[in-house]
Amino acid sequence: MTPDEQTTLFDALLDGDINEADFLRLEAELSVDAEVRKAYYRRLEMDLLLEELAAEEVHRLPPLAEPLLQRTSKRGLWWAGLLAAIAAGLVLFVTMFAGPADQLADQNDRPQVAQTIQKNEPSATGFGVLSGQSDAVWEGEAIENGGLLPQGELHLVSGLVHVELFSGVQMVIRGEAMFSIDSPMQVSMRKGSARAHVPEPAHGFRLKTGAGEVIDLGTEFTVDVDETRSSVKVVDGEVELRTREAETRRLRDGEGVELAADGTLAKESAEDIALIGPAAFQDVLAERQSDQFRRWQLATQLLRNDPRLMAHYLVDPTQGWSRTLVNRASAASRVNGTAIAGDGAVVAATRTQDRWGRDGGALDFSRMGSRVRVVVPGEHRGLTLMCWVKINSLDRWYNSLFLTDGHEDREPHWQLMNDGRMFFSVKPPDIDHLSPAERERQVFYSPPFWETSMSGQWIMLATVYDVDQKLVTHYVNGAPISRESIPETFLVESIKIGAASICNWSEPMYRSDATFVVRNLNGCVDEFALFSGALLHEEISNLYHAGNPNER
Amino acid sequence: MEPVNQPRTDDSADSAFVGLLTECQLPLRLYVRALLPGDPAAGDVIQQANAKIWEKRGDFEPGTHFKAWAMAIARFEVLNHRKRQARDARLHFSDELEETVATELAQVTDDLAERQAALRECMQALKPASRELLMRRYATQQPLAEFASQLGRSVGGVKVTLHRLRTALAECIERRLLATGETE
Repeated sequence: MTPDEQTTLFDALLDGDINEADFLRLEAELSVDAEVRKAYYRRLEMDLLLEELAAEEVHRLPPLAEPLLQRTSKRGLWWAGLLAAIAAGLVLFVTMFAGPADQLADQNDRPQVAQTIQKNEPSATGFGVLSGQSDAVWEGEAIENGGLLPQGELHLVSGLVHVELFSGVQMVIRGEAMFSIDSPMQVSMRKGSARAHVPEPAHGFRLKTGAGEVIDLGTEFTVDVDETRSSVKVVDGEVELRTREAETRRLRDGEGVELAADGTLAKESAEDIALIGPAAFQDVLAERQSDQFRRWQLATQLLRNDPRLMAHYLVDPTQGWSRTLVNRASAASRVNGTAIAGDGAVVAATRTQDRWGRDGGALDFSRMGSRVRVVVPGEHRGLTLMCWVKINSLDRWYNSLFLTDGHEDREPHWQLMNDGRMFFSVKPPDIDHLSPAERERQVFYSPPFWETSMSGQWIMLATVYDVDQKLVTHYVNGAPISRESIPETFLVESIKIGAASICNWSEPMYRSDATFVVRNLNGCVDEFALFSGALLHEEISNLYHAGNPNER
Repeated sequence: MEPVNQPRTDDSADSAFVGLLTECQLPLRLYVRALLPGDPAAGDVIQQANAKIWEKRGDFEPGTHFKAWAMAIARFEVLNHRKRQARDARLHFSDELEETVATELAQVTDDLAERQAALRECMQALKPASRELLMRRYATQQPLAEFASQLGRSVGGVKVTLHRLRTALAECIERRLLATGETE
């Protein structure tokens, strides 16, 4: 066998495309020749590495769209547009499905889902995060609170933002501003006003403008920059000013200068720059948030009487010792007197800060074994699951959100894959005769939406299983990120739950469900709701806007 | 109360075990795939193997050869899988060959990280269209014929192109590894 013949046979073998004669020939060679085996391992290894790479890269490829686009209905295009808008807001990878838009409409061809692959090195880029914003308008994509500030020039068209650099420097910047974060110790500013608070470990922090640079020697200063001039004023402490002319001077408390664009000294003093400091800015935001908090509490009260609400768990910060999560849903006004879920029992999870900043208002599930045990009675025509979650990392293959014990017929499983996709399935009865690949079609994946840079941010996830429309829709922050039709054979009209766990899986039954069993979520949850039946788009969106602490 | 048979494992032992298992993922996948070449169910079997390994974690004696132990369990899962699939029997290697593969893969020293880095560099050297073809192929588990028709190309043509690209990549990787080996 020539080397080329050999690799051709390896490829056919690995592609599942080999005939019996060739298989036997290859097997004979493999059995007697260690070198051939070595070559086989190498080829296989490259296959695995290519799969890993492909799982990372495929989102960046343009969709294979031409033949499909011609068939795209108006409805499909409308969806594609909506998805593009969501992508702009949430920085999602939509390219994967924006092209064949009719995949989202009624189509039974499920998109092929790439095999779950562990990425080797989670990484994110940026030198600082956006800690708060007030009426901020960004040129290009909006930046979420808590999000990383990308590298390169940022253009804040208007509004006020609070930026925290990883050096500890805190800045309040007012638009219109054009600036870039060059490193945790250096910011360049072409235009705009800023106030910088520089703690001791970050002394030496530089703020560069066209006219020169300010080096902070501690602790707080303001700058105001435009095309014609830059002015600097020290609020507290001392700075060193280096003009473009290489002149150096020191400024202390209350002192300021104004430089012309060419770096020459224009004025021996500077006007006060009316800009609040980072701490005061956060106070203003907190006040605004507390209004929003009251709105959310009201909305929560109103939600109690929704006849579809089976379970609504909130973590009460005043009951820090309690291992019981009270179900807020009201049993009164139930249609046909259906029972609602009982209270949840907290196991191992510890208390932590919730999305409103209240201590003890959320549960941290990162300790192994953590979970909340619940029992949800009844049979349900459709299901809506919602939770507010803060993910540290998706370091397990399956990261639980809500799983019934075991995985019996007609039971739902809701979790996150380690590549950032949402997973939802309701196990259809009588599918044991199907091949594993066919059975896999009971699972509805969203495209990857979570990436490492979102670690530590509170987000609202929701999934709707709509029996009447035969659709599964996944939502992030109130907006749909994917919608897929349920094939007729897999449609479960009556869902049952019974005993289940929030953020973990109990009593995994190896024989019937062969997946990995360390499944507690490495993250926190402060609200979880389960509705019998399908909520509408608007209802999911309202839940998000009422519960979003950063609602503007 | 039923007595618990398994030795108690506390959280720190569990997390050490998770560490071992995580490190072992690529060799384990390599192994299962080597025994089930071209079988789309290989992914399921790998997960079953992982679940079984986790279930049996109390049996593992720290300090012994984890990879060999894990592979023995994986082998068992491969055999189970074949039993279940008996009706649509795929071609598979003889027992002797499978055992040889197990022994050899358990001993392979792990230079996957270097290979991965080399592969990334070699991918950059390919033409964008070739790179795209490879990435699309490896992002899906579709049968080759389906994949080719989606691209609007013949199966034979795609097969030949993929084969050439893989061979070019394999050679490039070996060259790179040799080069970095020499400079170190």
